[in-house]
Amino acid sequence: MISKKLAIEVLNAALETGADYAEIFYEDSSAHSVLIENGKVETSSSNSLCGVGLRLLKNNQCVYGYTNELTKKGLLALANSLNKSFHDKRLITVTKLDMIKCKNRNPVTRSYDDVPVEEKIALIREGIEEINSLKDPRIVRTFGSFADNKRFVAVFNSKEKWFKRTTEFGRMAFQVIAADQNGFETGFEGPGAQHSIEYFRTEKVNPRKTARKAAETALKMLTAAECPSGKMPVVIGNGWGGVLFHESCGHPLEASAVAKGLSCFSENNIGDYIASPIVSAVDDSTIPGEWGSIDIDDEGNLGSKRLLIKNGKLNDYMIDDLNGRRMDRQGNGACRRQNYRYVPTSRMSNTYICNGKSTPEEIIKATKLGLYAVGFNGGSVDPTTGEFNFGCSEAYIIRDGKIAEPVKGATLIGKGFEILKKIDMVANDLDLAQGMCGASSGSIRTNVGQPTLRVSEVTVGGRGGELK
Amino acid sequence: MGKYDKFFALAKEAGLEQVELSISEFRSLNISLFHGEVDEYKDNNGYAIVARGILNGKCGSASCDVWNKDKAAWLVKEIVANAKVIENDDPIFIFKGSEKYHKVNTYNKDLEKVSIDEKMKNLYALEKAMKGIDKRIVEVAGTEYSESTEKHTLMNSNGLNLVQKSNYFTFVGQCVAKEGEQTKSGYDFFLGNKFEEFNPEEFAKKIVKLTVDQLGGEACESNKYKAVLHPDVVTSLMRAYIGHANAEEVQKNSSLFIGKIGQKIASSKVTIEDKPLQKNVFARWFDDEGVATYNKPIIKNGKLETYLYNLTTAAKAGVQTTGNGYGGGSKRGIASSFLSLKPGKKSLDQLFEEVGNGVYITDVSGLHAGLNPQSGNFSLQSTGFMIENSKKGKPLDLITVSGNLLEIFKDVLEVGNDVTVSPSGVSAESLLIKKIVVSGK
Repeated sequence: MISKKLAIEVLNAALETGADYAEIFYEDSSAHSVLIENGKVETSSSNSLCGVGLRLLKNNQCVYGYTNELTKKGLLALANSLNKSFHDKRLITVTKLDMIKCKNRNPVTRSYDDVPVEEKIALIREGIEEINSLKDPRIVRTFGSFADNKRFVAVFNSKEKWFKRTTEFGRMAFQVIAADQNGFETGFEGPGAQHSIEYFRTEKVNPRKTARKAAETALKMLTAAECPSGKMPVVIGNGWGGVLFHESCGHPLEASAVAKGLSCFSENNIGDYIASPIVSAVDDSTIPGEWGSIDIDDEGNLGSKRLLIKNGKLNDYMIDDLNGRRMDRQGNGACRRQNYRYVPTSRMSNTYICNGKSTPEEIIKATKLGLYAVGFNGGSVDPTTGEFNFGCSEAYIIRDGKIAEPVKGATLIGKGFEILKKIDMVANDLDLAQGMCGASSGSIRTNVGQPTLRVSEVTVGGRGGELK
Repeated sequence: MGKYDKFFALAKEAGLEQVELSISEFRSLNISLFHGEVDEYKDNNGYAIVARGILNGKCGSASCDVWNKDKAAWLVKEIVANAKVIENDDPIFIFKGSEKYHKVNTYNKDLEKVSIDEKMKNLYALEKAMKGIDKRIVEVAGTEYSESTEKHTLMNSNGLNLVQKSNYFTFVGQCVAKEGEQTKSGYDFFLGNKFEEFNPEEFAKKIVKLTVDQLGGEACESNKYKAVLHPDVVTSLMRAYIGHANAEEVQKNSSLFIGKIGQKIASSKVTIEDKPLQKNVFARWFDDEGVATYNKPIIKNGKLETYLYNLTTAAKAGVQTTGNGYGGGSKRGIASSFLSLKPGKKSLDQLFEEVGNGVYITDVSGLHAGLNPQSGNFSLQSTGFMIENSKKGKPLDLITVSGNLLEIFKDVLEVGNDVTVSPSGVSAESLLIKKIVVSGK
C-alpha cells in the first residue's frame, strides 16, 4: 500500500504540466484456482498481482501508464514521464486527501484466505461424483474447477478524494464432454458470486445441481438434430438469455460508444422509443453479493441503479467521467477495469430486462412454430452498427405451442435496435447469470439477465435446412 | 548474487526437487487519435513471473508481477501448497535443454530509434487519408499505434537459461460508412517490426474499401452455396481445426483427429505447417518448456502427419516432443506456433471464375460463441459478397454460414495464391469450397 503523503506527492508531480485530473489506482490482489479433470486434481495455481496505474486527463485526452516499481522513485518516474504529454501551467495542486465513504454491500463472511484448498477440492468432487453417478458411457471427459479472488484497491485522485475497497469472489464451474459415433458435445455451468464458499453449498447453488445440469446439456445435445435456419420467432429463456440484451443493447449504451457518436443509439435522445413499450431494462451495480456488483467504481463514483430503458423509451446510459465530458454528464458509477494494467471506461455490471406480465408457459403456448433457446455460449457485437451474434448451446423447436425436439448449432444474429422493437411478449421469471465480459478495459465480471421473452422474428443460422 | 538466486535457494530449502522461472519483462506504448487529437496515450512497464516446481513428483505453480525477497518466499510457499494437492500421475519435466537451438532474430533495434514524432506523423496521415478517400465515410472511429518490446527468460534448477527478445508494432484504423439508413464499420491491423514498411495512405485505402464495399448489402436466400473463403476467415477456421492435433486432446478422447495419423483427413490440396522458425515477428526458437522448436507439416497433401506434443504427452505416447509446449501454469499446454497454409497457384479472380455463381465470405465474427471447438460445428455471423457470373457481386448483410471444420477442409477444391499473414500469427490464402450453408432470407 502507498501512503497518502506519497500519493499527494505523485499526484502533484503528475499535475505539473497542466493536466486537469490525475488519479492513482493501486491494486494488490491474489487469486487461486484448482482444476479437477476426470476425477483427479490436475492443476492448482496461485497468482498475485500488485501494481499502480496512473491516469492523467486534460479535456478529452487521457494519458495512462502503469508500473510494478512501487517505490517513491518508481512512482515519481512514472508521473514525470506521463506528464510530458502536456505543456501548460499547473492547474491544480493537491493538498489533502479525504476519504470517500461507501456502503459495503458485498461482504464475505469468511475470507477465501481462510479456505484451505482441500475444502475447495471437496466441493468440486461432490459435483464430479454426481456426474459419475449417471454412469453414462457417453461422458468421456469431465472438468470441475473452483477459482477465487481477493482484490484490494486504493484510489487517490486530484479531486482530493481517496477510497479503498476489498472485494472477494468465487466461481465454481463444471464442464462435461460427451461423445458418440456422431461426434462431441459439451455442457458448461459456472455460477459465481461475491460470497464466501458457503454460498456454493446452498439449495439454489450447489455442486451436484450445477454438475448434473452440465452433464445433462452435453448428453441432450448429443441427440439433438442440427438447428434449422432462416427467420423465425424465437423464445429466449430466462437468465443466460440476457446475453442477447447485453450484446445488442448493453454495449451500445456504454458511454465509451455513445460519447463519440459511435453507437447505433448515438442519434437517439433520452425519451426516444428504442424498444417495444413492454421492455424496460436496468444496469444495477447495487444488488448485494451479485457477481457484477460494485460499491464504488474505479474512479470513485458510487455504484448505482441505472434505468436504461423505461417502457421502451431510452432513459439512461452507463457513464464514466471522461466520456461524460463529451456528453455533458457526470459519471454514474460505471467506470471499471480488469486490473491496474487497463485504462478504465464505462462498463456494465448486472444488466437485465425487467419482468413483464406474461408467464413462460403462456409465451410457449402462444408460439405455433419457432425456436426456444435456453443455453448460450456468449456472443459479440459491433456497437456502431448494432450487428450482434450469439451462439446457443441448448435449444428446442416449438411446435403448436409445445416444446418439441432439441436442436444444436444455432446462432442468432441481428441488429440490436431492430430486435428490441420486435420483443412482443415478456414473462415474469427474471433470473441472472454470471459471465465475463471483454472490452477495452479488460475482462470483468458481469451478470446478464432477463425473464423468458419472445422476439417475433430473428435470423437463425444452423445447418438443418428450412424450419418445417 | 543473481537477482533470482534467493528463489532457487529457498526452493531447495523447502524440499522442491526441481524449479523453473518463466520471466517476462515488457514495455508497451499505445497512442490513439480521435478527431485529430490524441485521445489516449499509454506508456507501460510490466513484469510477469510464472514459477513452478516439483515436490514428490507433483508440480505446483504460482505467479506474480513484483520481484523482491518476500515474493520469492511467497512463490515457494504457494508452489509447495499447490503441489501437495495434485493427483495427476502424468510424468512432469523441468527440462535440461535441447542439444541445439536454431535462433531466429525477433528483435529489430531500429524500431527503438523511431521517434514519437514519426509515429504521430503516421497516425495523423492515416486518419487524414481515411477521411478523404470516400464521401460515404462519415466517421473515423479511431486510429491507434501500439508497440511492444519483450524480454522472455526461461531459467531452471537444471541449469537451463534461455532468453528471447522481441519487438513489434501495430497500426489499427477503424472507420464508419453510411449510405441511406445503412451504417457499416470496418477496421484492419498492420503488424510488423520494420517501421519503414508501413504506408499510411495504402493502409487507409484498404480499410476504406473494405468498409464502403459492405454498403448496400442485403441477405441472400438461405441455401447451400459454392464458396470462396477470404484468408481471414480461413485463418479463424484453421486455428480451431488444428486445435484437434493437440496430443492431450487426443490422449483424453476429445479430438476429432483420434486414430487418424497417416490417414487422409482433408483435401489433397491442403498442406498446413507449424513454422516456429519462420523469419518473422512470430518466431519462437524455444517453447515454454525450453525445448528447441522446428518447422514441420501437420497435414501434408490432406494426410495427417503428426500430433503436436509437449514433454508430458510425448512421454506418455513414447515419442519425442514436437516443441509445442506453450502456456503458463503448473501444467504446460499445447499449441501450434506460426501456422502456415501452403499456397496454391490460382488468383482470387481465377477462383471466382471456377465458382461461377456462389458466395464470397470475407469475415466471420463471434467465434467464441458460434464455433463448438469439440464437435467442429460452426454457425457464424458473416459478411461477404455474392459471386455472380464469375465476378464479385452485391454485398451480403446479416447472414450466417454454417458447417463443420472436418467437412470444410475435405471440401477444399482449390487454394489461392494470395498469401496473407494475420496479426494472430497465421499465414493463409483464399479457399474455394465445394459447399457452405448460408442462412439469410
